[in-house]
Amino acid sequence: MALLEITGASVQFGGLTAVNEVSFQAEPGEVRALIGPNGAGKTSLFKAIAGEEPLSAGTIRFQGAPIHDLTPHEISARGVRRTFQNGGLFGELTALENILAGLHTRIPSSFGGLLLGTRAAKTAEKNGTRKARALLEMMGIPHVADQWARDLSGGQQRMVEIVRALATDPPLLLLDEPAVGLAPPARAELMKIIRRLVEEENIAVILIEHAIEFVMTVCDTLMVLNNGELIAEGPPEEVRRNREVLEAYLGR
Amino acid sequence: MLSLLPQLLVSGIAIGMLYALIALSMTILYRATTVVNFGHGDLVMAGAYMVLIFMVNVTLPFLPALLLSLAALFGFGYLLHRAFIWPIINGPHLGLAMMAIAIGYAVRGLVRLEYGSEMAKMPRPFEEQFFFAFNTVMTLDEITFCVVVVVMLVVSYLVFSRTRFGRIVQAMFQTQRGASLVGINVRLFNNLIWGVGCALGALGGVMLGLILVLDPDAGVWTLLRGFAAMTLGGFGSLHGAVIGGLIIGVLEKVLGTYVSTAFIDITCYLVIIVVLLVRPRGLFGQHATLRI
Amino acid sequence: MKLTRSVFWLLPIAALALPLLVNPYHQYVVNLILVYVVVGVGFNIVVGNLGQLAFSNVAFFGIGAYASAIFTTQLGIPWWLTVIPAGVVGAIAGCAASIPALRGVRLFYLAIMTLAFGELMRWSYIRTPALTGGSMGLTVPPAELFGWVLESETQKFYVFLVIVVVIVVAVSRILESRIGRAFLSIKNDERAAAAMAVPTGRYFVLAFALSGFVVGIGGSMYAALVGHLSPEAFDLVQLILHFAIIMVGGLGSLVGSILGAVLITATPELFRDWPGFEELMFGIVIVIVILFLPRGLASLLARVHPIFKDRYLRED
Ligand SMILES: Nc1ncnc2c1ncn2[C@@H]1O[C@H](COP(=O)(O)OP(=O)(O)O)[C@@H](O)[C@H]1O
Ligand SMILES: [Mg+2]
Repeated sequence: MALLEITGASVQFGGLTAVNEVSFQAEPGEVRALIGPNGAGKTSLFKAIAGEEPLSAGTIRFQGAPIHDLTPHEISARGVRRTFQNGGLFGELTALENILAGLHTRIPSSFGGLLLGTRAAKTAEKNGTRKARALLEMMGIPHVADQWARDLSGGQQRMVEIVRALATDPPLLLLDEPAVGLAPPARAELMKIIRRLVEEENIAVILIEHAIEFVMTVCDTLMVLNNGELIAEGPPEEVRRNREVLEAYLGR
Repeated sequence: MLSLLPQLLVSGIAIGMLYALIALSMTILYRATTVVNFGHGDLVMAGAYMVLIFMVNVTLPFLPALLLSLAALFGFGYLLHRAFIWPIINGPHLGLAMMAIAIGYAVRGLVRLEYGSEMAKMPRPFEEQFFFAFNTVMTLDEITFCVVVVVMLVVSYLVFSRTRFGRIVQAMFQTQRGASLVGINVRLFNNLIWGVGCALGALGGVMLGLILVLDPDAGVWTLLRGFAAMTLGGFGSLHGAVIGGLIIGVLEKVLGTYVSTAFIDITCYLVIIVVLLVRPRGLFGQHATLRI
Repeated sequence: MKLTRSVFWLLPIAALALPLLVNPYHQYVVNLILVYVVVGVGFNIVVGNLGQLAFSNVAFFGIGAYASAIFTTQLGIPWWLTVIPAGVVGAIAGCAASIPALRGVRLFYLAIMTLAFGELMRWSYIRTPALTGGSMGLTVPPAELFGWVLESETQKFYVFLVIVVVIVVAVSRILESRIGRAFLSIKNDERAAAAMAVPTGRYFVLAFALSGFVVGIGGSMYAALVGHLSPEAFDLVQLILHFAIIMVGGLGSLVGSILGAVLITATPELFRDWPGFEELMFGIVIVIVILFLPRGLASLLARVHPIFKDRYLRED
């Protein structure tokens, strides 16, 4: 049983088929890169996995159970976390509070407990805060903790968003163009962090990029999406030599 | 009982014409700037009050009073967008809605300061007359509503489809950024559209002034009927607004007669609530809700 | 010594002495301010924290007031025992007002729907005279507890003060927890909130219910304060007053709700002889605040000293 099993998944917007009968599986401990030109349907595929767009055909199973009829928060609660192509942070919250928001389901304070100010509620909040600070520290950005998310630099925002998605140790992480807007050294650093996470935590990462060069070294499997169809899937070097890919995408 | 039905349809359609006009004027503002003008009802009623002021206080005849009123509301709409909406157009939705609400309130307050709790009646431009045909009665007012609104619809259709202005507006309904890229002065056009929208609404208000006693709170009455028409027709749909208005007009009469007079008051509230619960996109609107 | 937010406790303590300093009419106005502190705090939950434009607040206020009055007049329950039930009825109305949100209705759709809901409520106060006294209104008998009658403004003041303190403390605890964070995350980006496993629908219901509960209690206090309810009290002038309180005070700020209530409540009393003046003035004031001070006066206070900075007041 694979961690994530997608079978014949399609997403339609009105008459337009953004994702067309895509099937693949993802296993723990692997990085899959999903590349393809703008408008290929990469983000739409993520939305379908995350439950934000309904499937018009096909199934998505996670840890063996179908998830394509669940709502986004239910899917997230099961351990599928994602970042957004643009602006997924809560600008009015600090970086720390953003992480705390990511930990929402891990802070077991009840409404009644909060009202009465019970010790359990206070401890829950405190533990959450401690964990959030530790995560920021681990990613090397403890100094941004108390700044408003909207005031952070682009690179810092990306990092905070990834930390937030990781906070609950999800088995599957979907990163939508995390490297966009980063300077090359920062980008290399980010790829290293992703690699390390996958190895240490044994999670699966699916990573969207639109440029093939950035992901060659980081991914175990490369998938190419074009016009909503998965036209290639395999080890990066192999896919790079694939004729169809060259024509459809690289030879653009 | 059933023999009443043709009569109800006729008077329902006549009043529905006014709702349609008001809903249409709100839809135009919405399509152009994606701002829902929560103050629109008060501006609509301001149209009737302006006619009242020009006729009673300035002692002008009806026609010049009407034209001045429409011009005044055009100017007001233009300035409203230029001075208050445009500066915050990229801000949060809440601010935009609050702005429109606040301005509606300020207008209503001005009216109340002047007229207090007295009911005012707009002077009639013509004597009421009745026409009988096929077992139904139509008042001259109702005929006026139908004629004026149908003429306005035809004129706006022609303007939209045949003139350069109309084509630019249509382009802007599609995408504001695209419009600015091809060198259209988006701000100016939106100012103009707000002017036109307010003037159109005011025309509806003047006609309402024929059948309603004016009071400052009539603005909300009007606003909710406009909203009901837009919601039923589908938010943002121009023909939806018109068809929605006609349906609301007829529903009010039919339910008010056959079920309970209460429906004359509450049909529009119920339509809003039921449509948004059952089919939020209305008859002709785009997909309007979020998957949660 | 470092100043902490516990100094705010000095406020209610100092207020204990207030009745010694004011005459009964001013005491009435002070009591009215306390009512509106509760209303502002409740309204701000939905508008300032959840970030939704909802017009249902006056409905909650009216429902709470009428619930209290109807329980006392029809069922003979003393006012004391109707405060919490009035809040519960308000919370039920809040749940009802959030149903469209569960169906995915947002933004101005929600605004229009709640506007219709509010107007429908006002219509029903007039059209159900058997319960509400119709347009004649409903007289609320003075509250009594074991022979002690809550009649003078001073007595009401002390009771209200206790209610206000309890509500402010309770709401601040909720807003500063993961629940308040969930509200704010929904306000900022609902899609991202759901992706963080925040059950957004449930928090919509919670915010509306909480708001309805608090504002319903405000309504109950109002019924006890004025002693006579009439439908006109719950019209759109009432709504602009609520909006003015939270906008001028500061959207999303607890300090702001209190500040707004103190500054705004007294003004209608001053302009009673010029109908329309309130609407005009509040309209203009809100326009000015939106253009020049979008976070309200609380954001100015926060600059004076950080203790005024609500945890969730985001303007430095
Ligand atoms: N909400 C939407 N409504 C209609 N069309 C959409 C929507 N989202 C995406 N599309 C269309 O679907 C196609 C795929 O988009 P997307 O998944 O964002 O591509 P990518 O992320 O690969 O750049 C594009 O043609 C885009 O225009
Ligand atoms: Mg994309």
